[in-house]
Amino acid sequence: MSEWWSYGLADFLLFSPRVYFRLFETMNTTWGLAVISALIAGAIAAGLAMRHGHRGNRVILVVLSLIWAWVSYGFMWQYYQPINWVVPYVLPGFVAEVALLAVFASRPLPLRFGWRGDFSSMVGAAFIGIALVVYPFVGLFEGRDLMQAELFGSAADPTAFGTLGFVLMARGTWRWLLVPVPLIWCLIASATLWVMDQEIAVVPLIAVWLTVFCCWLDLKNGVTTRRMTQAELVEPTD
Amino acid sequence: MSEIDRRTFLKSASAFSALGAATALGGAGPLWAQTIAGQKRPDVIRKAIASTGEEIPAVGLGSWITFNVGNDMELRDQCADVMSAFFSAGGRMIDSSPMYGSSQDVIGYGLDKLGARDQVFSTDKVWTSGDGMEQLAQTEERWNIKSFDLLQVHNLVGINENLPLLFKLKDEGLLRYVGVTTSHGRRTEDVMAVMKNERLDFVQVTYNPIDRDVEEYLLPMAYDRGIAVIVNRPFRGGSLVEKLEGEPLPEFAAELGAESWAQLILKYLIAHPAVTCPIPATTKPAHAAENMRAATGLLPDDKMREQIAAVIGVLI
Repeated sequence: MSEWWSYGLADFLLFSPRVYFRLFETMNTTWGLAVISALIAGAIAAGLAMRHGHRGNRVILVVLSLIWAWVSYGFMWQYYQPINWVVPYVLPGFVAEVALLAVFASRPLPLRFGWRGDFSSMVGAAFIGIALVVYPFVGLFEGRDLMQAELFGSAADPTAFGTLGFVLMARGTWRWLLVPVPLIWCLIASATLWVMDQEIAVVPLIAVWLTVFCCWLDLKNGVTTRRMTQAELVEPTD
Repeated sequence: MSEIDRRTFLKSASAFSALGAATALGGAGPLWAQTIAGQKRPDVIRKAIASTGEEIPAVGLGSWITFNVGNDMELRDQCADVMSAFFSAGGRMIDSSPMYGSSQDVIGYGLDKLGARDQVFSTDKVWTSGDGMEQLAQTEERWNIKSFDLLQVHNLVGINENLPLLFKLKDEGLLRYVGVTTSHGRRTEDVMAVMKNERLDFVQVTYNPIDRDVEEYLLPMAYDRGIAVIVNRPFRGGSLVEKLEGEPLPEFAAELGAESWAQLILKYLIAHPAVTCPIPATTKPAHAAENMRAATGLLPDDKMREQIAAVIGVLI
């Protein structure tokens, strides 16, 4: 295909907003119990991650891994793949995220989550809060039905967005391995929503900018490299 | 014209609507909610495919974006309703592509539901740099159809491999017509080179009262060489009609029997001697029927066509 300069993002979007938002309605209606369960599990993981005492790390990682598996198979493959040619190309990344989260959960000392009180923690907590509570209801202000709510744990955008929040609430260099897939998905989501004239497109884009900024800030402040104190290393009882 | 106005117009117009209303009064639901087997369809303007002389209705149905509804059964049924309204109003050509997501599956679903395999002039594309034959087999499976009336090389992708493949299928009697497509005015010179060097039956290009570049060289060349022309993006993906919504139609529209901007644009296109069939896409059965009605009544002459283009050019 030549004349690439003449192509715009809109040329690659082959579905309408009507069909896109119906995906969530159909999924929420068909899989209501699973969707609510995933949301509640995500909220419990968020509660554990917000605590100061580094408890429940393994639970958080297992929940996130299961949620990403559900998003990959449920939303991405069953619902989104038939209308979006991009999905088969990014799905291996989603599966890799599932595997990485499972690997982190299975290590003797899993990734440690907790409130540190620094800027990255604040951004991480805000991401999680917005993904769980705000994002699903933004559609109401744009005239969409409540049943079309995009819920953390089942819809890809808030799950990717919220996962970035969890990563920013964690510490350790290896946590950055969990960033690329949700970060890339947020870019794709932002582009998709922007082409569909949805103002919420700025949310995943801001998430990308803030995540990159927080990565740089944490590297600069030594959050990723600083040795943990003895108290922090004590494995709490989950 | 608003959606309500368009529907009101359709309800009050001619045999198609009268028959639909009568059926509805009988408790059997609107025409487009039923299978089309045995229905008598209205006469519409037909245009000849130059390479054979076969005549087809002068308005077709596109599926880009509008039919990519995935596995949503409610939306699939809505698409089947659009197809039913299209067939009931005299239409035949439906166009799709492997590039259009689930559109091919949705057309196959609609044909099954309506029992319309013998009505459709099936038009699709090959769009791959890989194994064209494999893609065509998949396309046939999705339409659930044994052979196509027309297959085109989509946007000239893999033209050196795919065009010989289509000619081979035609020579073997497995395909009736061969074509190439482009859109948005891209690669026009390349398309014209293929038109010059190959024995094409069809070419598909973007053309509407705003995007008129093809009028200068491509359409005259198609006419001279006996190549039928399918017109994509007649409404610029819907944006043209949306921008004109609410604007009063010019007085001469009544002379043509055009009751909406959509019909006026389609009449503008059909009236060009080189154009065979514009393929507007829609999600609404009423619009599918309305589009087909553009292929009835009078068509504009050259002077009136220029007036249509001028008026629309000023309004958008």
